[in-house]
Amino acid sequence: MADLIPFLQNIANGLLIGGVYALIGVGLTLIFGVMRTINFAHGEFVVLGMYAAIVFNQALGWDPYFSLVVALPVGFLAGVLIQRVILATIVDAPEESSLLATLGLSLIIANSLLLIFGGEPKSVLVPYASSTISLGGGVNLSIVLLLAGIATVVAIGGLHLLLNRTEIGRAIRGTAENRLGAELVGINTKRIHAVVFGIGMMLAVAAGVALIPLLFASPTTTGTVFTLKAFVVTVLGGLGNIGAAIGGGLLLGVVEVLGASYLTSEYRDAYGLVAFILVLLFRPEGLFGRSVQRV
Amino acid sequence: MNTNLFGLALLLVIGLAYPFVLPGYLTVGITMLLFIGWATSWDILGGWAGQVSLGHSFFVGLGAYFVALGQSRYGLAPWWSIMLAILAAAALAYVWGRITFGLRGPYFALSTIAFAEIFRLIAINEKWLTGGATGVFIASLPEPFGIDLFSRWTQYYLALAFALITVGIVALISTRRFGYQLRAVREDENSAMASGIDPTAVKLKAFMLSGALTAVGGGIYGIFLSFLEPHVLFYLLLSVQIALTAIIGGRGTVWGPAAGAVLLILSGEVFRTTFAQANLLIYGMLILAIVLFLPRGILGEVSRRLVRRRYARSAKS
Repeated sequence: MADLIPFLQNIANGLLIGGVYALIGVGLTLIFGVMRTINFAHGEFVVLGMYAAIVFNQALGWDPYFSLVVALPVGFLAGVLIQRVILATIVDAPEESSLLATLGLSLIIANSLLLIFGGEPKSVLVPYASSTISLGGGVNLSIVLLLAGIATVVAIGGLHLLLNRTEIGRAIRGTAENRLGAELVGINTKRIHAVVFGIGMMLAVAAGVALIPLLFASPTTTGTVFTLKAFVVTVLGGLGNIGAAIGGGLLLGVVEVLGASYLTSEYRDAYGLVAFILVLLFRPEGLFGRSVQRV
Repeated sequence: MNTNLFGLALLLVIGLAYPFVLPGYLTVGITMLLFIGWATSWDILGGWAGQVSLGHSFFVGLGAYFVALGQSRYGLAPWWSIMLAILAAAALAYVWGRITFGLRGPYFALSTIAFAEIFRLIAINEKWLTGGATGVFIASLPEPFGIDLFSRWTQYYLALAFALITVGIVALISTRRFGYQLRAVREDENSAMASGIDPTAVKLKAFMLSGALTAVGGGIYGIFLSFLEPHVLFYLLLSVQIALTAIIGGRGTVWGPAAGAVLLILSGEVFRTTFAQANLLIYGMLILAIVLFLPRGILGEVSRRLVRRRYARSAKS
């Protein structure tokens, strides 16, 4: 029994962290599923969310979660703008072009942040940073992690409703299924691409805001870490599959936390990468199910 | 071939004269020459074989660490270490390629990142092997024929030799059977197979050659730095920098990667005071401009225009 409580604690923490990974992965996989774009700047979008929370916290004293009110719409608009200005012009170019374009974008974002804010890692200190809620039996949940988990559930639930209950959601799913077919039935796929990239960026920004009380953000390294995690999450689940990205995110969170406490924490980031290569090689359609095309 | 020979001669002359004209900018020259060599080596795989790798910093680190550890632990002279590094790089490239060449396009690029990151974590965490995150110091080096390897002048000429050799090898390949096989595989693997080419074998050869040459440059870089840290040498952004240099200059051309290196290192110098550490901003903006407006890269676009004009002229006459 003594071993069980820390184990349950780890599982709970892993699931909550994994929820945020899922939030990042869902955006990446949605963008890939609809646009066939591998978004290398996704981690940088997360970092933009973190810095938005930091700026609002330092300048206006806002709680990081309150800054979502501004960060989400701005994130959506920025995503639409990026898609319209950059990605829309290379929509028919080879897949590598969009990879290189978003790689360039990630360098621009990271280095602009470095120029503006300097290189030292930053974070937001919230008064409830070390508060916990007891679940009974010695398992405690940190409030910050719990809030991050709630934000994840709300965001993914909202996305689910949008995709399955609204007209634009139907258009998004149609575009993902078959772009030409969607155009034939009168869907403006250019607009859908822009909306989807906006949603993806918005989710990444939300994840960044949810994470900032937990860690330090540094302009040039944090983005890469999260881009890699997002790739791991989506490939674990199969690129383009939203449900699977959620599963992949939760799995990565749990694997990281368990691996770090029972094996060795030095290789915390390597577990995901090894799983990533193995899945790419042996189950390119992902761990869950076969469909790669669907959203 | 003649233009390539002329270009190599020009590079040799400019390269030899540079330290006398600008003796204060030797380190810039060394960096530029190393990047000419790295980007050109990268291009054998990334441009000629069409497999974009974002993990080449691994080979840089491999070369550098072989030199440093060979010297400090086993008293092995750098030239022997570099030869060992060439063998090790080729062997690892073979295994790595065997595992991942089933993946196409962006998936291959993603897998190279994952591989290189795993190697980086190993280099940081396995202290018995690499000295860990604190790094390794090259304290002393032998002096062959009384040449001081710690001198910037020696390092400059080593880097010049490295750049000339890699560009020379690619110039040679471009007119040989192997060069045509590479291009055939890049354009369409199925048609290449139909013409009796084994795509995996060709790509493996390209990867091994590319990795081995990059490791040679890594060895010289190790001597140049003389203090090695894993998160500098196995850094993802170094891989990105090498790949973007070649792509911006022009993939699959003999001189494109070299042109890219000159352009990027020079602009890095010009904006050093403005951007300080954020010098990768230039890479980001240039690659975006290239993807949007010149998808073949700078020299790729120039040579396409020239070829078109030549055909137009021959059609007229």
